[in-house]
Amino acid sequence: MEEIGFLGLGIMGKAMSMNLLRHGFKNFSWLFSSLSMENLKILPSDGGLGLEFWRDSLLEEELVGFDHLESVLFELEWGFPECDELVKHGATIGETPAAVIKKCKYTIAMLSDPAAALSVVFDQHGVLEQICSGKGYIDMSTVDAETSSKISEAITAKGGHFLEAPVSGSKKPAEDGQLVILAAGDKALYEAAVPAFDVLGKKSFFLGQVGNGAKMKLVVNMIMGSMMNAFSEGLVLADKSGLNPQTLLDVLDLGAIANPMFKMKGPSMIQSSYPPAFPLKHQQKDMRLALALGDESSVPMPVAAAANEAFKKARSMGLGDLDFSAVHETVQSSKGSS
Amino acid sequence: MAKILTVKPSCTNHYYLATAAILSPPKAALSLSKSMAACSSFCPQRPLQYRRKPISCLPIKPQFSVQVKAFSSQESSAPPKDEIPARIGFLGLGIMGSPMAQNLIKAGCDVTVWNRTKSKCDPLISLGAKYKSSPEEVAASCDVTFAMLADPESAVDVACGKHGAAGGMSPGKGYVDVSTVDGETSKLISAHIKSTGALFLEAPVSGSKKPAEDGQLIFLTAGDKSLYETAAPLLDIMGKSRFYLGDVGNGAAMKLVVNMIMGSMMASFSEGLLLSEKVGLDPKVLVEVISQGAISAPMYSMKGPSMVQSLYPTAFPLKHQQKATPIAAAANELYKVAKAHGLSDNDFSAVIEALKVKLQERS
Repeated sequence: MEEIGFLGLGIMGKAMSMNLLRHGFKNFSWLFSSLSMENLKILPSDGGLGLEFWRDSLLEEELVGFDHLESVLFELEWGFPECDELVKHGATIGETPAAVIKKCKYTIAMLSDPAAALSVVFDQHGVLEQICSGKGYIDMSTVDAETSSKISEAITAKGGHFLEAPVSGSKKPAEDGQLVILAAGDKALYEAAVPAFDVLGKKSFFLGQVGNGAKMKLVVNMIMGSMMNAFSEGLVLADKSGLNPQTLLDVLDLGAIANPMFKMKGPSMIQSSYPPAFPLKHQQKDMRLALALGDESSVPMPVAAAANEAFKKARSMGLGDLDFSAVHETVQSSKGSS
Repeated sequence: MAKILTVKPSCTNHYYLATAAILSPPKAALSLSKSMAACSSFCPQRPLQYRRKPISCLPIKPQFSVQVKAFSSQESSAPPKDEIPARIGFLGLGIMGSPMAQNLIKAGCDVTVWNRTKSKCDPLISLGAKYKSSPEEVAASCDVTFAMLADPESAVDVACGKHGAAGGMSPGKGYVDVSTVDGETSKLISAHIKSTGALFLEAPVSGSKKPAEDGQLIFLTAGDKSLYETAAPLLDIMGKSRFYLGDVGNGAAMKLVVNMIMGSMMASFSEGLLLSEKVGLDPKVLVEVISQGAISAPMYSMKGPSMVQSLYPTAFPLKHQQKATPIAAAANELYKVAKAHGLSDNDFSAVIEALKVKLQERS
């Protein structure tokens, strides 16, 4: 596997690309920006008007995630700094997704949300313009099953091969090559991708037909969201009972319900500090999608539903952009009224 | 009390500036972008990157992380010298009490046992334990007496009832109640015991059957500090760590909180298993995926495989689950359904059956 394309160089994408480069894969990278298709050439080179221009041309609804925002601003104000470091390690820059697809047999995409994932494929200069028989497209973004199916159909209609492969794990696991990869779709493409997956993650699963990877990711995130809520309730209850919340953390860490998430987030939650590693609004979106999945099959999920309510309340309190552990604040405020 | 340092990266403000830039009127955007550019000179290359500083950069090493034996949080008590109390009593030989008493005997302690159903005492007697026919007699003949009962009613009865332990307590003796009871019950028992001049320690445990067998329990103690210090070597035989939490009631409260989180986690895990199955995924794969990630907990790896096969061998009976707050209340509703279907004595992982019942009701 010689040249891999990589679309999307946000928090996750950059770490993943670096890993691939370090392990001998030649990357052909491209930085996602919703403006690059049409408008980039119009921007003045001094960058000073970049923000204003961008603000005029994008609607607030398009501000879908940190990575999106970040990559757009970088491109406008600072050129392609993300790409610079990658280039130093041997990557080549492509101007558009189509250019990358043209050059590479296999291309991985790592976008922040369904809108970005669709844009990269369907927009002008997108993936569809160059995808063809013999080429593979691996979408590692976290999207709902429907978006994934849409992309899959479009790719395979043109003769290409498609694999969805959302990951479990955030920035640090991405940097350390410790992601858990939940792949589904074209089995042959999965097998071809395994050498890359082995670099990117500690374990990869092939789960069958397109949609299964997305679903598995949602189920895991649903449990994670409920756990974070239960944990928050526990911390608040301990505090109100006159116990030291730090002692609760110590006790939990020794027993059967010890887990890395409690260990990582607990101390900062006690300090009411929620630096975003996984934004709360994304977690709530995942809870909602998981509940929708449950609705389709009439699966009762009262705990997840209660957790979702707590996340919604947190969003209404303006905590959507903080780490999802900020739901702790919601529990603290509701304890008074219950 | 452990102090946690929070390092706030000085560049976090950039995120807020960026958002402000987006949402402000056009004229302001220009000046904001310039001030952003100015700020960037104070920070290394990538200012916006810093608002995504991961949790791992915060120094968060708690005080007790990697010790085999973790000691108290409030006052650090030096571990007592090897003075094991001479004669030890043990009341209650159920799922937990039996392995706990066995560990004491195997460690060479002089143990006297009692159980409501006498036959449960036989395995321990054959290991060398003595037997007395009432809690009162056990307490009278021992220096420190442990009690491990299944519920508040039994705990009160054994301690304060007819021929109860209080009848045999006196100054110089100690009563350590390791049952899980609510704070009020614990205070009631404490009052009865202390009125005899003896010392009292509540010491509910975190951990179920296997940790009890392996001597890996976690003791959440509260009450008389001196009894805590005397009993410490015994707790160390039966467990891997112990905490002293202050006044009677605090141990019970801590246990309640831990159980509440555990119950909610189990209920959520059950929802996940059932959902994965219904949408065409393999629940066994879900268990494996979870075990690889940030929410990997021993409980999931332990219980997951048997739950997938609809097996619920009792380590922690479902009837002992508690309720408190929204998530816990939602979970509690499921436990109530499970109890109504006769699953009280199954392991608490049987809560998944309640979800299956609800599923059938809907279809």
